[in-house]
Amino acid sequence: MNNFFNLIANELIKTYIRKSTWVMYIVLAAIVIGAAAIVAAFDDTDKVSDNENWREALQAENEALTKENEETDEDDSFIIDINMDTIHENNYHLENNIEPIKYGAWQYTIENSGLLSVVSLLTIIIAAGIVANEFRWGSIKLLLIRPISRTKILISKYIAVLLFALITLLFLLIINWITGALFFGVEGFNPDIVLSKDGGYEAVSVISEVVSGYGYGLVNLVMMTTFAFMISAVFRNSALAIGTAIFLMFAGNTIVTAFAERPFAKYILFANTNLKQYADGNVWIEGMTLGFSITVLIVYYLIFIALAWVFFVQRDVAGQ
Amino acid sequence: MSEPAMELIDVKKTIGRKEIIKGLSFTINKGEVFGFIGPNGAGKTTTIRMMVGLIKISQGDVKILGNSIKSNFKEAIREVGAIVENPEMYPFMTGMQNLEHYARMIPGITRERIQEVIQLVGLEKPIKEKVGRYSLGMRQRLGIAQALLHSPSVLILDEPTNGLDPAGIKEIRQYIRRLASEENVAVIISSHLLSEIELMCDRIGIIKNGELVAIQSVHESTDATSKQIKIQMEVNPIAKAIELLQSQHDIIAETTDHLLTFQSEKESIPAIIKSLVNQDVAVYQVTASKVSLEDKFFDLIGENTIE
Repeated sequence: MNNFFNLIANELIKTYIRKSTWVMYIVLAAIVIGAAAIVAAFDDTDKVSDNENWREALQAENEALTKENEETDEDDSFIIDINMDTIHENNYHLENNIEPIKYGAWQYTIENSGLLSVVSLLTIIIAAGIVANEFRWGSIKLLLIRPISRTKILISKYIAVLLFALITLLFLLIINWITGALFFGVEGFNPDIVLSKDGGYEAVSVISEVVSGYGYGLVNLVMMTTFAFMISAVFRNSALAIGTAIFLMFAGNTIVTAFAERPFAKYILFANTNLKQYADGNVWIEGMTLGFSITVLIVYYLIFIALAWVFFVQRDVAGQ
Repeated sequence: MSEPAMELIDVKKTIGRKEIIKGLSFTINKGEVFGFIGPNGAGKTTTIRMMVGLIKISQGDVKILGNSIKSNFKEAIREVGAIVENPEMYPFMTGMQNLEHYARMIPGITRERIQEVIQLVGLEKPIKEKVGRYSLGMRQRLGIAQALLHSPSVLILDEPTNGLDPAGIKEIRQYIRRLASEENVAVIISSHLLSEIELMCDRIGIIKNGELVAIQSVHESTDATSKQIKIQMEVNPIAKAIELLQSQHDIIAETTDHLLTFQSEKESIPAIIKSLVNQDVAVYQVTASKVSLEDKFFDLIGENTIE
């Protein structure tokens, strides 16, 4: 077992010793910090100051917005909609006696949950290279002539990829929060925020919102990473693995839309990777349930893993 | 001394319908340096890859200290250190980081052992440098270092003198000899350079088209050459001379560049000349030279097939 941890350590060392990995982290940090700088520069987040008179402030804002709506041209329904949303949200605060909180680190973290796709991208690059690069470097020959089964080496590589994803995700969360804290301050320890849900409004704890915001995205991350890992092990070519995985990641939704009318559409992987559809209530294709999606995901996952295993363990390592 | 370290038992490799290795059987003993020689494409690397389990053996088996590489991989490979083709290490890591990487894969390799191996191959100075900056010779040494980390009983080196300068080759040669005699390691060296093999090995196996053409003790063959020599004669008429050699001396001779060429013992030269002269064959010139391993090698595999 000790030996197995050493294998995983080896893979992580080989990943993190390379400069290209650090460049990825620097780019990720630059995106987070850059976005915060832009938001801070065009600051409109501080509209409600935290003071005793937040009720009066909200009511005043509602009145101003209602007046603006009356004056606005009927055709400009866009502005009216936005104003109505704000009014509804303010009313929710007033009716439920929840003081609006200032914008800060937690909300910035939630808003940046889209950056999870960058984590997916980076993890795909690592997964695509972790087997294929050994073949490219020729080091696979020295790796496989140790008293360790090929299965164990493959598993250690896969676990290293998942650990890389986890470390990168934690890095993203921490850099988001710290950047948010530096630019906008901290709202407090796990405050409640009001979000629009299912057409109405709801107060939820900020941490649970962070978890769900990032958690649902992890399904797609794990599936695409495993796919890239499989291509890497089967074709021993990292460019092919990166290319196909990233293409599918971005084209996935389009593929499902294109085949949405066909009976097999619900069996397409990408129709099932977004589990949030069941929490939100707008299911893509009629007849799909959470249980169905999880089953489909598991089947795809097992196929990916099985293909990677068969090709890595069974195939000869002949001349490169 | 003659305990077998590695045994090949009728090893065959078939890819598709083509038989690439056609049944190799030989044994390498502990403390012996075995040269594995043949032209490019003869199947040297395929055989070595089968020995270390990188390629599946279609038929037959390889046993290392009695453990089958097929059915008992971990126990068998534990006793093997190898370089397969080029010593390809991770270029973005230092020599030390590379060795530590391999050390973590086998339990029981201490920090002292790593230092010991670095000293053995003489890499103390550049060990903290990235392997990407190493010369081919330095990589070759690092390759040998990683193969020796776990003190294996069998050392397999594919073209180990590739890229080394003459001084480096001499050093490696002495080092391999010492490993065999002092640590009782069985060393298998593949090469297409016969001169290297002659100086390092106890025995050589010659492979051609996936078949073992000959196994020969190097010392035995040098003993034999002291008696058997290559003789070339300029004579006229040649046809009559060939006939005479066959009928009177039981020697089969051939003509190369209008010279009569054959092998015989030095002591028989006067008698041959005498009989030729007696039968009115004019002898203009006689040259005698040693039969080297190289001549035998060319005899066995054909001159044009060697690289």
